[in-house]
Amino acid sequence: MPHQEFEEEDFEGALSGRILRRMLGLTRPHWPLLVGFVALIAFVAVQDGTFNFLKKQMIDRGVTARDTTALTWVVVIYAAMMVLQSAGVFGFIYCAGLLGERLQYDLRQKMFNHLQVLSFSYFNRTPVGWIMSRVTSDSGRIAELITWGLLDVTWGALSILTASAFMFYINWRLALIVVLIIPVLVIVAAQFQKRIIAEYRAVRKMNSRITGAYNENITGVRVVKALNREAANLSEFGELTGYMYRASFRAAWLSALFLPVVQFISALALSSVAWYGGRQVGLGAMTLGDLQAFIGYITFMLWPVQDLARVYAELQHAVASAERTFSLLDSRPEIVDRPGALDPGTIRGDIEFEHVDFYYQDGKPVLRDFNLKVKQGETIALVGPTGGGKSTIVNLLCRFYEPKRGAIRIGGRDYTELTLHAIQSRIGMVLQTPHLFSGTVRENIRYGRLDATDEAIEAAARIAGAHDFIVTLDQGYDAEVGEGGNMLSTGQKQLISLARAVLARPELFIMDEATSSVDTLTEALIQRGMERLMAGRTSFVIAHRLSTIKRADRILVIENGHITEMGTHAELLRKRGHYYDLYTRQFRRALEREYELGKMTGLAPTGAL
Amino acid sequence: MSTSSTTLFDFRHTLSPNRLAGLWGMLAGFRLTYAGAVLNLALSTCAKTATFLLIRYLVDDVLQQPDRLGLLPLIALGFISLALMEGGFTFLSGRLAARTAENTALRLRNYLFDHIQRLSFTYHDRTPTGDLIQRVTSDVDAVRRFFSEQAIGIGRIALLFTVNWVALLSLNVPLALASVVVVPIILVMSVFFFRRVSKAYEQYQEQDARLSTVLQENLTGVRVVKAFARQAYEREKFERENWEKFRRGKRFLLLHTVFWPVADLLCSSQMLAGFTYGALMVMNGALSLGEYLAYMGLVVLLIWPMRELGRLIVQASTGLVSYGRLMEIVREDREPIEEGIHTLSAGSRLRGILEFHHVGFEYEAESRVLKDISFSVRPGQVVALLGPTGSGKTSLVNLLPRFYEYTRGSITLDGIELKDYPRQYLRRQIGIVEQEPFLFSRTLRENITYGMGRDVTDAEVEAAARAAAIHDVILSFPEGYNTLVGEKGITLSGGQKQRMAIARTLLKDPRLLILDDSTSSVDTETEAAIREALERLMAGRTTLVIAHRIQSVMNADLILVLEGGGITQRGTHEQLLAERDGLYRRIYDLQARIEVEVEKEVTAFDAPPREETEAPEREAVLA
Repeated sequence: MPHQEFEEEDFEGALSGRILRRMLGLTRPHWPLLVGFVALIAFVAVQDGTFNFLKKQMIDRGVTARDTTALTWVVVIYAAMMVLQSAGVFGFIYCAGLLGERLQYDLRQKMFNHLQVLSFSYFNRTPVGWIMSRVTSDSGRIAELITWGLLDVTWGALSILTASAFMFYINWRLALIVVLIIPVLVIVAAQFQKRIIAEYRAVRKMNSRITGAYNENITGVRVVKALNREAANLSEFGELTGYMYRASFRAAWLSALFLPVVQFISALALSSVAWYGGRQVGLGAMTLGDLQAFIGYITFMLWPVQDLARVYAELQHAVASAERTFSLLDSRPEIVDRPGALDPGTIRGDIEFEHVDFYYQDGKPVLRDFNLKVKQGETIALVGPTGGGKSTIVNLLCRFYEPKRGAIRIGGRDYTELTLHAIQSRIGMVLQTPHLFSGTVRENIRYGRLDATDEAIEAAARIAGAHDFIVTLDQGYDAEVGEGGNMLSTGQKQLISLARAVLARPELFIMDEATSSVDTLTEALIQRGMERLMAGRTSFVIAHRLSTIKRADRILVIENGHITEMGTHAELLRKRGHYYDLYTRQFRRALEREYELGKMTGLAPTGAL
Repeated sequence: MSTSSTTLFDFRHTLSPNRLAGLWGMLAGFRLTYAGAVLNLALSTCAKTATFLLIRYLVDDVLQQPDRLGLLPLIALGFISLALMEGGFTFLSGRLAARTAENTALRLRNYLFDHIQRLSFTYHDRTPTGDLIQRVTSDVDAVRRFFSEQAIGIGRIALLFTVNWVALLSLNVPLALASVVVVPIILVMSVFFFRRVSKAYEQYQEQDARLSTVLQENLTGVRVVKAFARQAYEREKFERENWEKFRRGKRFLLLHTVFWPVADLLCSSQMLAGFTYGALMVMNGALSLGEYLAYMGLVVLLIWPMRELGRLIVQASTGLVSYGRLMEIVREDREPIEEGIHTLSAGSRLRGILEFHHVGFEYEAESRVLKDISFSVRPGQVVALLGPTGSGKTSLVNLLPRFYEYTRGSITLDGIELKDYPRQYLRRQIGIVEQEPFLFSRTLRENITYGMGRDVTDAEVEAAARAAAIHDVILSFPEGYNTLVGEKGITLSGGQKQRMAIARTLLKDPRLLILDDSTSSVDTETEAAIREALERLMAGRTTLVIAHRIQSVMNADLILVLEGGGITQRGTHEQLLAERDGLYRRIYDLQARIEVEVEKEVTAFDAPPREETEAPEREAVLA
C-alpha cells in the first residue's frame, strides 16, 4: 500500500530540565557549531535592534540638523553594519543548518545502532511504524528545536532586549509602555499558536482517514459495483470530507486571525506612543527621530514576539518527541551475553531441550515441559497447526528468545553460556516468506558471508539451484531485486535465500518452508538445494512439503506446545492419527498438481498443508 | 456540509486546455467569495499604507504646528482604527480565501471519490491503485494550496507593491522611481533560487525515502539480520545512506546560506540608498520631514516581500501540474449505472430465465475472449462452468452484471435484452460469491449488510449468518458482530471470508447467483459447512457456478466445458462422462486415479511384510 500512514497518538511532554539538558547534550560533539550560531545570532539580533537607532540618528543628526557630514557618517556605519549583518546571516544559517542536519544524522544512527542490539521481544511488541516514526520524524523534530528553536529564542530575546535598551535610552517612560505590552503579546500569540497547531493535527488525522477511505474503495471497487453501494459510500465519504472541511477551515481562519490580533495589540502601543510621544515632541522634550525610532521598534517587535510564541507552542511536542526517542535509546536488550560467555568455535553437537517452558505473554504458555533430544546431523521436520508452537521452538533454538524455565543444551553445554554471536553466526536460516534486501541478487546472496568472492557466490547459487534462473535475468547477478525483493517471484526469492544460507556454511540449518505455491520446476530446485544444504548438518524444518517431511529423520507433530506424535513417516502413517490426516490431504493436492488437474479446471494450485 | 449539494457540481465542466482557465472554472459558485478575499486584501493593504500617510500628517501638520497638538488624541485614535481596519480586512480576506479553497477541495474530493467508484471495470483493470490515491490526495491538496496560499499570496505581494508604490509616487516621483531599481533583480533571483531549491529538496526527499527503505527492511527482516549476525554490516549500510542524506541536506542548506544573505543585502542596500537619497532631498527642501518618515515605512513594505515572490511562483506551477493530473481522471467516462431502456419499478423482481445466443466478447480489440456462447437456464437450475485457466469462465459471468459489455450476439433475461436493463437494477438482482471475497475494514455486521441500502434488523443479519454457517465463528470473537475486520481488527481465513460473502448474498436475496466455487483451500470440516450453506443459497434461484472439481458439478442441470473461449462440451454429468475423449471425462478419470493412488500411498506401510525402504515409491511426486 502506498499510504500506510502510521497514525500517531498525540503526546505532549511535560517540560523538565532533565530532558532539556539531555537534548542539549546531543550537541556536545559539535559544540563549535552551537557556540558559533548562538554567537552569530546574538550578533545579528543586537544589530537588528540597532538599525532603528541608526535611522533615528540619520533623522536627528543628519536631516533635521542639515548636517551632511553627520549624515554621511551614519550612512557609512549603516552600510558597514549591513554587510556585517549579511555575513552574520550567512554564518548562522550555515552553523545552525549544519548542526541540525548533523544532529539528525547522529540521532538516526544512534537509534539504528541501538535497534541492532535490541532483542526480538522488543520488535514483537513494538510496531514497525512506531519505530520508523521515531527514527525518521522525531529525530528531525528534536534537531529542529535545538537549532532553529534555540536560534529563534536567542534572536527573539536579544533583539527585544537590544530594542528595549535603546528605547529606555531614548525615553524611559515611553519605553515602559512598550515593554509592558510585550508579555501580553507573547502570551496571546502563544495561546493562538497552540490552538492552531492542535487544529492542524486534527486536519492531518482526518487526512489519513480520507486516504484510507479512498484506498479501500478503490481496492474494493468491484464489490462496490456488484453490490450497488456507490450512493451510500459517497454519503459516508461526504461525512469524512465534511469533518475535514470544518477542521481545516477552522485551522485556516484561526491562522488568519492570529496576525491581526497581535498587530492590533501593538497598534494600541503605537497609538499611545503617538499620543504621549507627540506631546513630548511638541513640547520639545523628544525629537522627531526619537518618535520615528519608537514607531519602528514597535513594528519590529512583532517578529521576535511571533518567533518566541511559535517556539513555545512547538516546545511541548518536541519534548514529547525527545521522550519517545530517549525511551527507544534507553530500552535494554533482554537477551545479552552472560558474563564470561564464550565462543567454543563450533556449535556442532547434540541439541537438547530440557523441560523447557516458554510464553510470550504471562499466563499464555506456548511450550510446557518440552523435551527433545536431537543428534548431530539429524533432520527434524516439525508439522502441526498454526499457533501450535513450531515457530517458537525454532525461535528458542536461534536464541531469539530464551526458555523461561528449563534449558537448551548444545553439545552438552547450556547455550546461555555461549555468546549470542557464537550461536547466531553459525545458523543458516531460510524463512517462510523469504526476506530480501533492496540491492542486487549478488549482494543478497553475499549477505550470507560478506567476504565471499563472486565465484563462491555463484557456486552457492549453483548448489541452491538458483544459478539457472539468475543468469536468465536481464542483468544476471547484478539484477536489482527491488524493495523487499518484489521484482522476483516467491519461488525465486526462496532460491536466493537458500543460496544465501548455503554461502554462510552454517552448522545448524533452519528452514520454515513456504506455504505459498511455486511452480513445479522451482519447487524441485528448492528441494534439491535444501537436501544438499541439510546433508551432514543438524536441521530443523517447519515442513509443509511432503518430500521434505518424508525425508526427515524424525517427524514431530506439534500441537498446543507439546509433541503429540513423533516418529518416521512410516511409523506415523500406521498410527492413523493427525499425521495421517494431514498427509492424506496433502498427498491428494500434490497428485492433483502433478497431474495438472488445476490447469484443466482453472484452479490456482495450493501446495501446502 | 451536506453531500447532496456538493455533488451537484460536475468537474467535467472545468476541463480546459488552459490550466489557469480550468482552475478558474473550479471556483464556480465561489468566485464572488474569492473576489471578496482579494478586495479585502486590497482594503487592508490600503489601511496599512494609510497608517504611514497618517505619520506624515502627524509630523508635518501636527507636530510642527504647536497650536495643533490638541489633535494628538484624534491621531492616536486614527492609528487604532487603521490597525483595526487593517486587521479586520486581513482576517476577512483570509477567511474568505479559506472558505473558497476548502470548499473547492471538499467538492473535488467528493466528486473524485464518486467518479472513481463509477468508472468502468476496464479503467480499474489498467490503473494502479497507488497512482490513483496519490492523485486524489496530494494533487487535490496542491490545488487547495494553489487557491489558499499561492494565488492569494502572489496577489498580496502584487497589491502591496502596487498600493505602496502609488503612495510613494504621490509623495515624490523621483524618489519612488529610485526605490524600486532592485526589485526586478530580486524577483528574478528569487524565482531562480526557489526553482533550484525545490529540485534540491526533491533530491533530499528521495534520499529520505531510500533511508526509510533501509530502515524498514532492517526492521521487517530482523530475523534474517539476527540469524546471520549481520548487525555490523547493517549499521554500515544505514550509515552510508544516512550520510548521503546528511550530504544532500547540507547542499540544500548551502543554497539557502547563499541566497538569504545576498537577497537581504540587496534589499537593505536599496533601502539605505533610498534613505540617503530621501535625506538629501529633505535637506534640499524637496521633501518634507513627514513625507520622509512615511517613506521610511512604505519602502519596507515594498521591498522585503519580493524575496518570497519567487517561492510562490514556483509552488503555483506545481498547482497547475496537479490540475492537469486530476483532469486526466475527470476526463474518463463513467459507467452509466442508471441508464437502460427497460425501466422497472424498484420492487419488481426478475424470474431469472437466462438465455445466451451466440455471444462473443473481446476486450478493446484484443483477441477474442469468448466466442459463440449459447445456452439457456431456468430459475432453480444450476449451470456449471468448467475449463482451464483463461478459458473464459470468469469473463462469461462478468457479462451478466454488465461489468463488461458483450460485443456480439445477444443475452436475454426474462426475454429482454440484457443491455436494455439499467446496470443498477441488474446488479441488485444478481448475487456474487467470489473465490476470495473482499471484506471492508468495518464491523462484521456492516460487512454482511453492505450494499443493502435499507435498515436491516439484527434478527435478519443473524439468520443470514446462521444459514451461511458463520454465526458461531462470529460469536467466538470478543465483540461478536461488532468486531472490526482488517488492519485494526481481525483477519478471517479464506473459508470464513467466503461464508461472510454467502451471508451477505443470502441477505440480499438475489434472483441470479454467480458462484466461484473454490473450496479446495479449506479443511474438510469447513468444506462441508460451506457446501451446505451454498445449497441453501442456490435453492430456487438461477445459478451459474465456476467449478473446479467434478464433485461440485455432478448435480448441475447443465455443465458447460469451456476451452479457449468457446463451449466444447455440454450436458449433464452422465452425458459428459459418456463422451470418452472429452476434457470432462479426462478430469473425471484423473480425479478417480488420484483417489486410488492416495489410498495406496497412505496404506503403503500397513502390510507388515513390506520393507520400509521400498515404500516411498511415489517419491518422485514433486520432482
